[in-house]
Amino acid sequence: MPLEGKSVVLREQRREDLPFLQSLQNDMEVQAWSKALPPDYTDVMYAKRYDAREFSYDPEEARFVIVHKETGELIGHISYSDLERRFSAHLGIMTARKFWGTGAAFDAQETMLRFLFCEVGVRVVRLFTHSGIPRAVRLAERAGFQVSAQIRQANIKYGQLNDTLVMDILREEYFARHPELTDALPPLF
Amino acid sequence: MMKSSFQGNRLALRPFEPHDVPALQAYLNHPDLSGRRFIPWAFPDIAPLSQRQVEGIVQRWAEADRSLPLAVIRPDAGQLIGHAECDWHWDPHQPSVQVVIAPDYQRQGHGSEVLELLMRHLLDYTPAHNVSCWIADWNKPALTFCQRHGFRVAGRMRRAGIHQGRYFDLVINDILRTEWKAAHAGE
Repeated sequence: MPLEGKSVVLREQRREDLPFLQSLQNDMEVQAWSKALPPDYTDVMYAKRYDAREFSYDPEEARFVIVHKETGELIGHISYSDLERRFSAHLGIMTARKFWGTGAAFDAQETMLRFLFCEVGVRVVRLFTHSGIPRAVRLAERAGFQVSAQIRQANIKYGQLNDTLVMDILREEYFARHPELTDALPPLF
Repeated sequence: MMKSSFQGNRLALRPFEPHDVPALQAYLNHPDLSGRRFIPWAFPDIAPLSQRQVEGIVQRWAEADRSLPLAVIRPDAGQLIGHAECDWHWDPHQPSVQVVIAPDYQRQGHGSEVLELLMRHLLDYTPAHNVSCWIADWNKPALTFCQRHGFRVAGRMRRAGIHQGRYFDLVINDILRTEWKAAHAGE
């Protein structure tokens, strides 16, 4: 069963998704990190990346495609990485421009956070973004992330130097925002 | 004479060699360095390290890609007294630096000399623009060291780990190329 939000589902990547994912990667508006340029990622590269994933019961990352629940349209990609089991994970998200401002990214992010805190059992989730994309910062803040560090002039985008932002949300902060959920995991300290 | 990034007034930086393993194992296992060894992630930062593990660390450093791990040597005595690293794994525009001095050699100015060599290398030979140090909030001497050398606190990566029965944050300290250059103009 995929992870289900209000309007979206997060499901595993499939081979037929690769052209969509490639197009997201090659869209300079969607792609936040200039270090990931140039926008010339090919279908062969994406197929190799897809095929390179090995089966594991102990993965340190997960990659999902965001799908519109009613229409089945592909909306974007959401992942977590650098998982320290039962402790922390890094979140990443990108969505097609067509869906900006529709609430789909927020729904996908909430769905992923619920999975990470309630199923994976982490104590903190963090993400890295930068000051040149306020849309991404607002999206994270809506879910309860706070800017915990601002590394000056550390990123280049649109010809400007931007600050890298370290954003995070602690487990207790997440559950405080979600009174409908009960945290059965006792605090460590 | 041209200034070298690897030769200071009292210290030299060079790659690690297999014969460094005993001295490296000895100081890494010193209780004062517990939790602040600054070794590759795959190796324990607190538990005692075996000779084989330390050999693995040296091997990992020898194979380092997008980072420059170096042994800190006191040439007068031929002694290994620490290790240091520049890391531009994420982006050479914003590398990080780490300096570890063996407890017996701390508070003698060695850390400052090593930091200046690393910064000279990054600023004179790479496109580094912002250089950062990520330090556990409980590591007060290292935080003071950073501030003393002009680094500013950029914030914290909260709940970065667990140490002595509590969560700790990583304090991120950074300095811009222009700031470092201005502070060291005329040197």
